[in-house]
Amino acid sequence: MLRIGGYLIASLHTGLDDGQLASFRRAIVDEVGRGETRGVVIDLGAVDVLDSFACFAVWQITQMVGLRGADTVVVGVAPDVAFAMVKLGVDLGNARTAADVDEGLNVLQLHPHADPGTRPGCSVRQITGKAACRW
Amino acid sequence: MGDRPSSPPGSVDSDREGDPIVELIPLIRRVVAARVRDYQLVDDLVQETLARVMAARHRIERDTLAPYAVTTARNLIIAVGQGTDRARRKAHLLVDGAADPPADHDLLQEEETSLVGLALARLSPAERDVLLAHEVEGTGTAELAARREVSPGAIAAQLNRTRAKLRVEYLLADGAVVPPTDRCRPVLFALSTGDRRRQRELDTAGHLLECDCCLELSVTLFDRRPPVEVADEARVRVTVDADVVTARQKGREIAARAGFTPTELTVIATAISEIARNIVKFAHRGEIVIRMIDEPARCGVTVVARDAGPGIADVSDAMQDGYSTYRGLGLGLPGARRLMDEFDVASEIGKGTTVTMAKWRNRPAAIPSKMTSEGPPR
Repeated sequence: MLRIGGYLIASLHTGLDDGQLASFRRAIVDEVGRGETRGVVIDLGAVDVLDSFACFAVWQITQMVGLRGADTVVVGVAPDVAFAMVKLGVDLGNARTAADVDEGLNVLQLHPHADPGTRPGCSVRQITGKAACRW
Repeated sequence: MGDRPSSPPGSVDSDREGDPIVELIPLIRRVVAARVRDYQLVDDLVQETLARVMAARHRIERDTLAPYAVTTARNLIIAVGQGTDRARRKAHLLVDGAADPPADHDLLQEEETSLVGLALARLSPAERDVLLAHEVEGTGTAELAARREVSPGAIAAQLNRTRAKLRVEYLLADGAVVPPTDRCRPVLFALSTGDRRRQRELDTAGHLLECDCCLELSVTLFDRRPPVEVADEARVRVTVDADVVTARQKGREIAARAGFTPTELTVIATAISEIARNIVKFAHRGEIVIRMIDEPARCGVTVVARDAGPGIADVSDAMQDGYSTYRGLGLGLPGARRLMDEFDVASEIGKGTTVTMAKWRNRPAAIPSKMTSEGPPR
């Protein structure tokens, strides 16, 4: 986990089990409390498959981080993984997304506290004028 | 070979009858060559065996010279094997501290002898005779076959089966285990022989899901077998979360051989992941078998995931989105069905669940045979 000023960058690795996920979640939420953390970038670039369990876990993290007063942006969802997720019928709830870590930080810095009602990815496209995901 | 010792006390009058030691040479050579590949080592071992037999010949009766020679040869082979292993393991050390046998060596030997005795007792007399004749007396399969008027191949096959049975009985005796069901011994035997067809007939994998006793023993029985690379199939035991990752990685590998695109591979891996998680959460133990199918009519993968878990009471309920018995998530079944082309769930309360899925490719795996040097067919 990296900290850049008021932002955290957390990378999820493939093959997380319940125990590891719980520690990961705990670490992020604890870290959010330390100092003024305005946002967290969750990097899913190293994850090969996002099944319903993994999506639920990511959603949990965004909810918990939100309760602690910080924003979350999920980045690094590979095109194949995104296709499989859509076909499977899961999503990341109302978590915002961006293409990579840089764009994620961009989103957090320029557009904090997005309206929870927006669909993931759309807010970024409208506001920054760039495509949210590179296919 | 060295000079024949001149009339040591009590020796047989060798000049007239033909030296019994010399007669042993082909026997010893056959015993050693069957177990040792390196022909120079074979020669060395035969020499060493003969030397030892000659040194001991004055205190051995003529009848028992042959078994003695065979046993000596086999002990030498074992010692060489152990020596080579130890040498390889300790090659980097200057001083080999473990040159002496450990203190409990004799006790262990005794224990092992009695276990082998117990195991031998469970063989039928006919099986035992053939085994002992071959292993202890060194009788060749050709001779054993002639005596019993069957082919040498039949004797060799019988010996393999007998050894397989002995392995099972030895393991059972060693653990002082009484197999809980009638199915256990046949299953263990099928595993020990490595006969896949028989394993399929008996559904050994299914039994291992239910029977802890056999599962433990099967680990040792599996270790023995040389790894068989069946390129078109992968079997993954699923008990913990880490196995979910293994299952989907193996799934990816097999599916890749079928020629799926990277996107399709991720889809297949996701479906496998969903099903595997079900097993971990609800059944605690299961097995996923991924097979590549490459036939003229169709090409793709099948995934069969089965467990001996509690079963699903109402499959149609479980197939609806949002149905859940756990944590607000669905069981993953409807999701997996959306990802794959074919999908089937069979479940029985108290017995277990079997999920069968398949995905097919839209184009053939092999290069079309009509491809000529002028390019693809028009």
